[in-house]
Amino acid sequence: MTNVQFEILPFLIPGIREVIQKININELNNMEEIRLRAGKPLMVFYKKNDWFVTQNGRLTRSFSEAYVVDQKEIVKTLELMSENSIYAYQDEIKSGYITLRGGHRIGLSGKVVLQEGKIRNIKDFNGLNIRIAKEVKGSAKHIIKYIIKNSSDIYNTLIVGPPQCGKTTILRDLSRMLSSGETEYDFSGMKVGIVDERSEIAACCKGVPQNDVGYRTDVLDGCPKVLGMEMLLRSMSPGIIITDEIGTHGDRDAILKVLNSGIKIIASAHGYNVTELKMRDELLSLIKSAAFERYIVLSSRNGPGTLEEVVDAGMIPVYRASS
Amino acid sequence: MIIKIIGSALLICATSLMGFSLAADCSKRPKVLRELQVLMQMFENEISYLSNLLAQSFERIYTSSKTDASLLFKEAAENLSLPGITADTAWEKAVENTYSKLGLNKEDKAILITFGKMLGSSDLEGQINNINLVSSQLKLQEMKAEQMRQKNEKMYKSLGVLSGLAIVVVLF
Repeated sequence: MTNVQFEILPFLIPGIREVIQKININELNNMEEIRLRAGKPLMVFYKKNDWFVTQNGRLTRSFSEAYVVDQKEIVKTLELMSENSIYAYQDEIKSGYITLRGGHRIGLSGKVVLQEGKIRNIKDFNGLNIRIAKEVKGSAKHIIKYIIKNSSDIYNTLIVGPPQCGKTTILRDLSRMLSSGETEYDFSGMKVGIVDERSEIAACCKGVPQNDVGYRTDVLDGCPKVLGMEMLLRSMSPGIIITDEIGTHGDRDAILKVLNSGIKIIASAHGYNVTELKMRDELLSLIKSAAFERYIVLSSRNGPGTLEEVVDAGMIPVYRASS
Repeated sequence: MIIKIIGSALLICATSLMGFSLAADCSKRPKVLRELQVLMQMFENEISYLSNLLAQSFERIYTSSKTDASLLFKEAAENLSLPGITADTAWEKAVENTYSKLGLNKEDKAILITFGKMLGSSDLEGQINNINLVSSQLKLQEMKAEQMRQKNEKMYKSLGVLSGLAIVVVLF
């Protein structure tokens, strides 16, 4: 049994499950996405290409052979995914996704119901995007040595990279190693607090992290960064706070507050290099105040998670990839 | 002669028993309907304050309630644990299986099945409205059943005894 068979198939409506079950096992295990759209062919994303799926589970390029998904099947599948309890997943649905056990993220589209300018609900679902989660343990192995200062301390770090270069994956793996400890670097674990605003780092399902984020890790799921950092600071006595995608208004003050309390921070930000970060006010003032001691720049040049350069607070390179 | 007397006594006993059991059935339906309303209230608490999942709520309801009506929730929870079954079919199956055991009639069954159609598939507000709707319908059914009971209970009982006596008189 693979995790697709185990964690995703039981939640598909029987008609679609039978089709997916017939897909070749190798293809099934390497699939990245399964897409259901109302009145459109069933599609999967496999090896950087999207494919139509036939009634017999064969991947094809031809539209006419494909299995066509009905809207009813989408609605029923979502009911199964919410364990027949849409009401209990209301908050997740409002933000456009639900998370399955195993950390698989289901993106939703449909008719959005507004009330006083806020999203109140999504109904009449017309599309599901089942993103099959793959935890890449060890994806931060080549990076952790630039972060560890000594056996019980680390540098405040900002991970910089364009979308889809594995920032979140690396953040998650760093959290696991820093929290559980790394014998290779003689690093004893530290208490880690994660503010997981978009539920992507720990991928909580009903509050329980589905990804391994370490033994000493506390997760605030779905909590806004600024509020979350303060909450952790006050009550969970973390040694490190980890958060994703900083750079919006208010982040700077929250981060400075964390640093002033002597707590370490690891965060990520969108960008291609450090110079680009300086164009954004909120980040520029953080850089000027030398809040971060290490900037780790990633790209996907040689696959996700390629290390481009590491610079310190004074912008002096610690490591640079030879191009 | 002795055999005749014993035979008649047995006959009267049997018919009265039939009458009493029919009368008992009459009182079972309003009782179950009343219990169902209580269980629906529990169900509302489960999902609104405790925000439990459907299967979990059903399980908690039937384990914490010792009434006949909890059988319905037990069956529904069991059906939900089967793979790939949605809430409405799980509930419908449970209703089909249990309604006659619970002494409910076709009308009650239809109400419960309609309730199941919305089960778990809407937001909290929708769920609560649905529960309130079914509760008020069950209340109405209960009142009707209670009237029926008052009318029929006595009738079945006396009919049982009297029909026994009538047969005995004819046979003598």
